Amino acid sequence: MDSAVWSYSENDSVAAEVAGAAANLASQTGSKALGLDFGGVGKPAASSGRLVLQGPSKDELTSEVAAEAIFRAVKQFQPSTVLIGATRSGRETVARLAAKLGVGCLSDVFSLKAEADGLVGERSAFAGRVVAKVKTGYPAVATVKLGAYQRLESGGAGVESFDVGAIQSSVKVIGRSPKEAGAVDLKSAKIIVSAGRGIKKKEDLSMIQSLANQMGGALGCSRPLSSDLGWLPEEHHIGLTGITVKPDLYLAVGISGQLQHIAGMKDSKVVAAINTDKDAPMFLASDYGIVGDLYQIVPAIQRALQTKR
Amino acid sequence: MKIAVCVKHAVDETELKMGSDGRPILEGAIARISTFDKNAVEEALRLKAALGGEIAAFTVGTPEARKTAKEALAMGADRGTLVVADGDVDSLQTANLIAAALKKTGPFDMIICSEGASDTYTGQVPPMLAELLGVPYVGYARKIEPLAQGFRIERSLEDTVETVEAQTPLVISVVSEINEPRYPTLIQIMQASKKPLEELKESDLGAKPVASARVTSVMAQVSSRKHVMIEGSPEEAAQKLVEALSREGVL
Repeated sequence: MDSAVWSYSENDSVAAEVAGAAANLASQTGSKALGLDFGGVGKPAASSGRLVLQGPSKDELTSEVAAEAIFRAVKQFQPSTVLIGATRSGRETVARLAAKLGVGCLSDVFSLKAEADGLVGERSAFAGRVVAKVKTGYPAVATVKLGAYQRLESGGAGVESFDVGAIQSSVKVIGRSPKEAGAVDLKSAKIIVSAGRGIKKKEDLSMIQSLANQMGGALGCSRPLSSDLGWLPEEHHIGLTGITVKPDLYLAVGISGQLQHIAGMKDSKVVAAINTDKDAPMFLASDYGIVGDLYQIVPAIQRALQTKR
Repeated sequence: MKIAVCVKHAVDETELKMGSDGRPILEGAIARISTFDKNAVEEALRLKAALGGEIAAFTVGTPEARKTAKEALAMGADRGTLVVADGDVDSLQTANLIAAALKKTGPFDMIICSEGASDTYTGQVPPMLAELLGVPYVGYARKIEPLAQGFRIERSLEDTVETVEAQTPLVISVVSEINEPRYPTLIQIMQASKKPLEELKESDLGAKPVASARVTSVMAQVSSRKHVMIEGSPEEAAQKLVEALSREGVL
């Protein structure tokens, strides 16, 4: 299993993306890609098969436990690279693994290149204003940006397993509950209508929601609305510290376009913006812009959509 | 309770200039306390108000990072430590230096960080710190509640809120939604310069060197947006926008 590329995520859907990244990287050097599997958690589909890590149960699988288990497996099998999906738990797992191995760590990479003396990853920095190439020696560990790689759905044969033994967790998980707002599925939405500070009062959000509904899209917002004003739950917050989205259409309504917001939506296919300020930075990140009062333009768009149908 | 709070002297991404060669001009770029680190300081202040104790702020960087340590002092931290690194440091090296400084000046019951720095946003330092110190870690905290023994903490993950209980000593990273950081008053800013701010050199700490990830190139992100401004009355503009989006095939 020398020089293999391993992939892992605690989230099944993300695990398929990371397996895609691992397959891509492994093909660069003609090595094997293996998906890590904790008895059904993060069910991977890597090109050359999977490695089942036995020991911790699904309920015990915190980032602390996962990192220790992967560390023990790395010591045993010496893979060249471990890729983990950049979810919040994944970021923790990678950082812990890097500290255990005493190696540098790539974070949130959207491209990977294997060089003889190390792994080079590209990532965004400075809230998306800069693309940085970062290099780390082998064994290399990295988190892979969500949505950056094609999902690998079907895996090869070949299942190996390794007993990592018992691992104690230093914190006690008391409970897990889904976040509120079941309607929020911004990550998979094809169209997102997003509201910002240009909205004068909370009640007016219904107008934006109604536009989103009419377009068959989901409602997002910039940080002030969820954080400072509390008009929407934080699950709607798109940005660096919120969620990252890349819909076909992103319509920014009354959003000035702070860098930290742009960082969360810059990979959208088409971006349109409505703002009263012609100098709003949001227009620089947009394909189409309308300078004007959203309270006039949004209803006009709704009428235009009705005529269209 | 003795609380350590970690703050980063981060390049202000909003003021970063791009050179004519397409590279960001990092030399001499304006830097200040990382935006989200103010939430970490604020949470430390709230815990101190509830439980008593002392807050020490830690930062790693060039001598210029004093400014950021002072910002934490102005917000209300009691003392500060600046670890002057020998050169550029990545997250593992930063965690390694902070861990050594914490051992030298501690012990601490709680070490509070933000979820990530506003410039690089990797979020690696807090879990690395916990590993290097060998203490429990709870990341992405949105609520911290003291118990008779230890703390109950709500972790904000993508789709889930996870509630955990952990004992001190403990490393915590907080999400920016956890609180609204206070602004220091002019008087607090002036008083901050009287608070103890210790400077440690990397060589004073005797930390075992660790490997690092190295930035090999940086380039400005090129925007490929069309930047079409649509004119006309609200009705006309809306009509044109809907037509344009239909042509793009996204409506």
